[in-house]
Amino acid sequence: MSAGESQLTCVSFDIQGGIVIRPAKITCVLVVALSLAGITFAQADAGKNNHGGGGGGGGQGVTDPGVQARSRGTGQTIISPQNDPTGYTVFFDDGLDRFQEVEQVSNAANTGLGPRFNSNSCSSCHAFPAVGGSGPAVNPQFTFTTEGVSPRDTMPSFITATGPTREARFPFFFNSNGTVNTSAPNGGVEDLFTVSGRADAGSCKLQQPPFAQAVATNNVIFRIPTPTFGLGLIENLDDSTLLKNQAANLKNNFGIAGTFNHNGNDGTISRFGWKAQNKSLHIFTGEAYNVEMGISNELFPQDRPLPEEDTAGTGLPANCLNLSQKGYPEDEINPQATPNTAVLDDVSAFANFMRFLAAPKPGQVVMNGQAVSSQAIAQGKALFSSIGCATCHNPSPGVTQVSSFVPALSHVQVNAFSDIEIHHMGTGLADNVGQGGAGGDQFRSAPLWGLGQRIFLLHDGRTTNLLTAIEDHASSGSEATTVIQNFNSLSTSQQQEVLDFLRSL
Amino acid sequence: MIPHGYFELLPPRNRFAIALNRKDNMHSRFTGFVLVFAFSLASAGWCQSAAPGPEQSSAKGAEVPENPQATTKVPTGVILVKGAWSSASDSVTPVPEGGIVTGGAFRDEYFGITYGLPKDWTEKYHGPPPSDSGRYVLAQLQPAETSGTTAGHILITAQDLFFTPLPTANPLELASYEKDNLQSDYKLDVAPKQIKVASRAFSFYAYSSPVAGLRWYVLGTEIRCHAVEFVLTSRDTKLLDSWVADMSRMQLPAEASASGGQGGGAFPVCIKDYAKAENLIARVDPVLTDHRFSPIPVRIIIDKSGKVKHIHFLSAFPGQDKVIADALQQWKFKPYMQDGQPVEVETGIMFGRAPPALTSSQDAKPSTK
Repeated sequence: MSAGESQLTCVSFDIQGGIVIRPAKITCVLVVALSLAGITFAQADAGKNNHGGGGGGGGQGVTDPGVQARSRGTGQTIISPQNDPTGYTVFFDDGLDRFQEVEQVSNAANTGLGPRFNSNSCSSCHAFPAVGGSGPAVNPQFTFTTEGVSPRDTMPSFITATGPTREARFPFFFNSNGTVNTSAPNGGVEDLFTVSGRADAGSCKLQQPPFAQAVATNNVIFRIPTPTFGLGLIENLDDSTLLKNQAANLKNNFGIAGTFNHNGNDGTISRFGWKAQNKSLHIFTGEAYNVEMGISNELFPQDRPLPEEDTAGTGLPANCLNLSQKGYPEDEINPQATPNTAVLDDVSAFANFMRFLAAPKPGQVVMNGQAVSSQAIAQGKALFSSIGCATCHNPSPGVTQVSSFVPALSHVQVNAFSDIEIHHMGTGLADNVGQGGAGGDQFRSAPLWGLGQRIFLLHDGRTTNLLTAIEDHASSGSEATTVIQNFNSLSTSQQQEVLDFLRSL
Repeated sequence: MIPHGYFELLPPRNRFAIALNRKDNMHSRFTGFVLVFAFSLASAGWCQSAAPGPEQSSAKGAEVPENPQATTKVPTGVILVKGAWSSASDSVTPVPEGGIVTGGAFRDEYFGITYGLPKDWTEKYHGPPPSDSGRYVLAQLQPAETSGTTAGHILITAQDLFFTPLPTANPLELASYEKDNLQSDYKLDVAPKQIKVASRAFSFYAYSSPVAGLRWYVLGTEIRCHAVEFVLTSRDTKLLDSWVADMSRMQLPAEASASGGQGGGAFPVCIKDYAKAENLIARVDPVLTDHRFSPIPVRIIIDKSGKVKHIHFLSAFPGQDKVIADALQQWKFKPYMQDGQPVEVETGIMFGRAPPALTSSQDAKPSTK
């Protein structure tokens, strides 16, 4: 596809079901709508949840304040227009535009979708509370089979109208008789949808992976979109800062000792994705474009078969290759385009968008219509640190290096609430998917900035309730169990303050 | 139903097969049987050195079955796909992470510890595997299931002093270091000092969180060149004091000391950096391929003749242990002499990439909190 061709509309729904939002400044309507839906959903769930949870004994009478509705300005660029000597603001805007483009298979301005995919636009999944975020309250995937995006497919049972936007993976390969071979790890993404039956997909016909069988055999796990706010800051933390933090944190008395995922060839710390499996925003984006949308690019130049097709050596059928009829990669630079932003390939434009997307800002917390006091938030923050949460969810893992991109990325305190390390999270959260150096039970400490406006929680979106998410950190093999024991040693009002604080992020 | 032909061409290749081949060399068949049995009970046990009690069923990160069968349902609560993990060259020699809670007591054969739990206490969840920095969670103890706020809990950890990146050589120094680097959230209640517990020397210090109302007692002793720490957490000082009093009934090896538990007696003598050129007669270096940038801490026991008798990988990716074990078995040391007699020696070797070490307390001021 090429850049700089999009129509400008505030909010509309494409005929193929994708969400189109332009320009950057007019994300208002959708965000408000989704915010309201999310709040209703999350708070309803929160109200029901006065349970003991995984740690035992915690949580009675404690309520998740829920998703915070009031705008915190999330989704803006980190670049100050008054201090942009390298002129990257237009690249942020261009990236934002492209991030929202709805892709078609062929015969359109933006092509390359499929033959397998999870969605047809970056912003359909990275949507809330603003473009670049995590999944929205109303799952756009749910209408794909009925609104022509994937007309021949069956909607998997785990994709629901108001459930989390998801990708699916099978931890293990199946045997030919339908049983699971637990000695054959798979772990690759099983794209939910195919282009079969679309008018722009020619004769390509593909079968979906056997999701019903996977559900029946407990051989499927899920991942939700990671929010991309502030990632330029995380990208610009140098390894030595992170290593020093790791060593210094070993003095903790909570039994926590994480490690890093490494890039396989140069041995440096990788940091993006649920298991910190991606080294850079470019790699992160290029892989997602290929895996989630089926669009080959300069970093991942081939159309991607399913793990089973790949392993079997059959690959994709010939009539499902080069569907865009433009050759490979489907996303590439445009040397002769103008303006200069249009020269970039989509992957570079996406990376720029995320790199220059400002970190979420903390904000006021409202629960049951009442503002939570700033004292309670401050108290919650101190408790969060005292009981050990901050050992992994480090409020500030460091200060960025000098950036060659923009001054706004230089010498900035990164308030990510993450150590970027991977930690053993035990049997309760383990998904039996290995990625790089991360095993089936290891996850990166999820950055908590922006948590106040996240609907679905944990790597698979299994809950919308913050208390449940906290308690789920405790299980056999988890580094967090002692911290959860500490949490459960707090009084009810103290636990409430911790939740209040977290929803202020 | 699975579409016709969809999976028919699946190859059997996988890294577990490699792991299983490795295990054929490194673990006994008996252990394999135990593992399969444990797995069949829905969640595999660690089974390193003792038969697990019921609490161990999904513990220490469950183990890979020796002969995995096709299953109609993937078991829940089981970690089948592992990254770097611990393993050992035999299943007879105790390892630090082999401790279990059974019969109302925590027992760790490697450290020679038997610790009777407070009444009605248990270990609900087992700890994670050892870290690549040499950190162990030996036990996480708490009262049996309660409702409401819990009275407190006890964490037992061990830090392998061969591999710690902290500038500390024994529990007393560790306590002092922790005190010097106490976060601003905490208030020091008792400065590090030496006390007697169960007739053994322990380091002790205490701190509290004014905002949380929680107090921590940290008691440490050195055994086999590990700082073994008991971290007692509660709101109630009297309760904490009573738990310390209970610890007087604990059984510990004679070497346990706040600054000098270095093996000997029933255990090998432990010596840091013994595997250096002046002590080595023959050495073959392993050639690591995958994950070569990760730390791979290894403890070995050298017998009286200078041969490597036992290998314990604290954290190694599948396949790395086999490569390193093959190399180590070709190493030959000068016998270590004590009082004119050769004795067994335990030492540590870091393969892969060692993490950076902190050289002073000043280094421990990360950009945090």
